[in-house]
Amino acid sequence: MKRYVLMIAVALTLCAVSVGAQTDTTAFDRYSLWLGGHYTDFNDYAKKVGEYRLIDDNVFGEFRLDLLSRRGSTLFSLNGHFFDEKNILGQVNVTTGNRLAASFQYRSLVHQLGQDLLSNLAAREAINGAPGGKMLTHEILDPGADYNIHRQEVLSTFDVLLSERGNVHMVAAHRMILREGTDQSRSVSHCFSCHAESRTRQVQNTTHNLELGLQADLTEDKTIGYRFGYRQFKSDAPDAYAPYDDAKHPTAITNAGTEAEFDSRQAYEDTTLRVNALPQTEKMSHRVRFKGNLGKGRFSTALGYARTENQETDLSSDAVTGTINYSHPLGDQTRLVAKVYAARQEADDPFIDLPTYRAGRPGGAAFANLEFDYTRYSVIDRTHARATAEVIHRLNPRWTVSVLGGYEMIDRDDYPVADDGLQTKRFIGQIGARFRKGLNYSSRMKYRFEKTSDPFVSGRGLFEYPGVDSLARDWNGTGATFGFIFYHDREDLRYQAITTEPTDFHQFEWNSNWQATPKVGLSIGVRGFYDKNSDLDSLDVSHFSFIPNLNVNLTPSDKLAATVGYTYNHYKSRGPVSVALFDG
Amino acid sequence: MIAPFHYGSEYQMVDYTTNTHTFYLSAGLAATAKLRLNGLVTYNLAEGSLEEGILPEEEIFYNGVQVLAHQDFSFEEMSEYSNLDYELLRIAAGMEYQLTPQIMLTVDGELADLTDNEGYVFGNESGSFYMIRSGFRFNF
Repeated sequence: MKRYVLMIAVALTLCAVSVGAQTDTTAFDRYSLWLGGHYTDFNDYAKKVGEYRLIDDNVFGEFRLDLLSRRGSTLFSLNGHFFDEKNILGQVNVTTGNRLAASFQYRSLVHQLGQDLLSNLAAREAINGAPGGKMLTHEILDPGADYNIHRQEVLSTFDVLLSERGNVHMVAAHRMILREGTDQSRSVSHCFSCHAESRTRQVQNTTHNLELGLQADLTEDKTIGYRFGYRQFKSDAPDAYAPYDDAKHPTAITNAGTEAEFDSRQAYEDTTLRVNALPQTEKMSHRVRFKGNLGKGRFSTALGYARTENQETDLSSDAVTGTINYSHPLGDQTRLVAKVYAARQEADDPFIDLPTYRAGRPGGAAFANLEFDYTRYSVIDRTHARATAEVIHRLNPRWTVSVLGGYEMIDRDDYPVADDGLQTKRFIGQIGARFRKGLNYSSRMKYRFEKTSDPFVSGRGLFEYPGVDSLARDWNGTGATFGFIFYHDREDLRYQAITTEPTDFHQFEWNSNWQATPKVGLSIGVRGFYDKNSDLDSLDVSHFSFIPNLNVNLTPSDKLAATVGYTYNHYKSRGPVSVALFDG
Repeated sequence: MIAPFHYGSEYQMVDYTTNTHTFYLSAGLAATAKLRLNGLVTYNLAEGSLEEGILPEEEIFYNGVQVLAHQDFSFEEMSEYSNLDYELLRIAAGMEYQLTPQIMLTVDGELADLTDNEGYVFGNESGSFYMIRSGFRFNF
């Protein structure tokens, strides 16, 4: 990593020196070097107050370097800050007129992570006020563990003029993000003694993002471009594993005589399995852009295709997207801005292969050898379209007003029911106004309203019917009766669509800037929203946000400047809390 | 009658409310031709709470019979686990003194104090740190 960073930085520096040596008409150099150190002392719990610092009571050497150099049309800058071994920032930029623009940035930081004490995972059944029966317990296998992540990011960009004829540019960009360290891995065993455990997990994730493209002017007012994208995410950390307890029936403490029967109802138990696994993903994309003038207006269009694949599970998704933006003057003081977006997304539907339920157990065809395998249809399969049109009109030198209308549609193929997905429709309305009086006062406000029909809901209901009778009558389609409710059965008992998506959405923003005197400036504003969903039977889910802010800038003399400000943020959400009720 | 071990579900509508206050003050002063001072104070107060949901276990009936009166469905502590209440105070101050036209001496410090009045997922997170920094700046 360090060698890679050094190579790119040296290459850019040499590039700047060689190009800059060509001309020397307007040359200057500015350097600033700060050398010093700092001492930090932490008390009590340090991971929150020092979330992005090294938790170490120690003295650290520190330096900053800023360099700006110009030779003719070539501008070279270098900025670096070494705070400690984990907190480093370095930037190099080179531009040579329209011929070359290159940049390189290295950023390193540390993120301290707390340890979830799992203290909410402690409960016990109580009958007539006396504790007893089933319980939920937890165990932290690495108490006091020091979790932290060292994040390093390298970003390189190049823009080279290949030909002045047609203004042909080649662009390239590469971003690498490396996350190394440890975090907390959690697992939960089921049945009899619900038992949660946590342990240390190694983290070593790498993300590469590469873009290559060409851009050229077809005519004086028409430009076309193509860009290829590649993204890869992988984890090189060793797999995390967790043991799962020997399952026992909640009413059979010793397991004697019931083990074979109860084990046959579990998907897994008394084993060690891989947990908290990360996907190994690869994404490739192609994008063509075309922009130019059309009549009195100006347009820009883009057509893209992307394919993402999880190489570990061999599952993939595809997306085709298209956009058209058009701006057209309707008069001297009026402008129309129209935007259209459309996308088609499809993802593989994985087959969930579960162990046979009660395999080989007695009880007749009604209760033994049941298959609960199913295909999990993806909610991603959809057609998505959105169109908006905004008219902006300047009433006079002080006032500008705007009106926006739009329509959005999301048509899902298979969710929540295969071949009969939800179709969400949304109407959008927005009005806005800007006011400016000279250079001393400006103000803007906006109100937006969205009306949505059939917003996305959870395909599995939030509540459960008390369905022992109905399930017993319909068990496995045989009409047979059975005295228990199995966990799998509970899926058939669930009802009540639930969502956090609103049907009505209101948003308001207002802010004002006032330079009262040459020495006093004032900025005041408020923004907020209210949304609700009244289509969920008796569940009136709603959200409300209210955020006013005030900022005052004071410059009482040319030697003193001060800023004072206050922001209040109020947020309230209303929703259901639901629990399933059992007796034994 | 088959013992109905499963009685479906009950729910309550509850509010989750958060309130945060952020105050800041920064200032810079050119005290003399060679001495510059700067300071910053920020204060954050954040509170969050979930309304307690009281589930009507006394009203649960099966075939007309009250069935779960003997069970204790107590969820008082569940709502408390979502409570947040913390204050964060940060104070920073610094000075730059010009020793020569090209060299400056800098001294600055920072103090941060977090008070956690509830103790959330990670336990009580109250803590503090201070930092003292000094060095020389060379301008060319």
